[in-house]
Amino acid sequence: MPKDKRELLAGYIDGELSDKERQELESELKKNPELKAELEEFKKLKEVTGMVRYADLPDEIWENYWQSLYRKLERGLGWIFLSIGAIILISLGLYQFFKQLYIDSQTPLMVKIGMTALGLGVAILLVSLGRERIFAYKRDRYREVKK
Amino acid sequence: METDKSLVMNIKTGDKKAFGILVEKYKKVAFRLALGLVGNKDDAYDISQEAFLRVYRSAHTYDTKQPFLPWFYTIISNLCHTWLKKRQHRLNNTLDVDDSSFLLIDYGNPEKTMVKEETMELLRKALMELSFEDREIISLQHFRGMSYDEIADILKIPRGTVMSRLYYARKKLAKLMKEQYA
Repeated sequence: MPKDKRELLAGYIDGELSDKERQELESELKKNPELKAELEEFKKLKEVTGMVRYADLPDEIWENYWQSLYRKLERGLGWIFLSIGAIILISLGLYQFFKQLYIDSQTPLMVKIGMTALGLGVAILLVSLGRERIFAYKRDRYREVKK
Repeated sequence: METDKSLVMNIKTGDKKAFGILVEKYKKVAFRLALGLVGNKDDAYDISQEAFLRVYRSAHTYDTKQPFLPWFYTIISNLCHTWLKKRQHRLNNTLDVDDSSFLLIDYGNPEKTMVKEETMELLRKALMELSFEDREIISLQHFRGMSYDEIADILKIPRGTVMSRLYYARKKLAKLMKEQYA
């Protein structure tokens, strides 16, 4: 029996076949003991899984589900504002720092060069990391769920 | 009663009441869908909550022409996939079933003969050894009791593919159970 026809066994035990498919399979089952054995195996499996169910959580957890979720939602908003504030303040601080560094004639040239190199290095690393994350995101087959 | 679509439309405007109604309606569904994929109650709970947070934050990206559940399921599935990848990495590519109670014998079903605890253990282990895709389809059909049309909708695949995937997933599950028994 062709492989794709064997797949009808799944639909047969689940009652998902059309009349025509069912009759076709039943006539094949009469003359094919291997197929019949496969069907019995599936029936047994279905019987076992039919006798179990997923575990549940205690009622008190379900009662507190919304409160717990709401707390997480609030915390998430808190983190967003905290991040925005931190980005603004750090950017401003860095701008002021480098401005002072270049204006101040007392600062040795080597310190200015060193600090500039350090700043550039950190910036390049951050951009590279960001690009890598974007590349990984684009190749993620499950990314569509975030859209 | 508000539809899922109208609830998500309201969530887009920041309506927390609509969000609360949606959470109440789908919290157990989300938990069970995640439980079927990760096999761990605590993680399934956390994943279900994270999935709702993503719904709230990404509501503006929801296409209202599409039904809500497949979109929501994709979020849950993605989170479970990420969680399993992290977990596998942590455990050096061996998926340890540390929460054997994620499946229970259904004593409330008097029509069925009692299944042995030993068989249950085989089933639990075999399920967690299946690939993500195989466990997913088994979970939806066997434990969520979904029809092929419902599975096709939620996974966004043709009905014929549902049958095909179920056939191969069951073959693998039966083989794994036999191997473990031996």
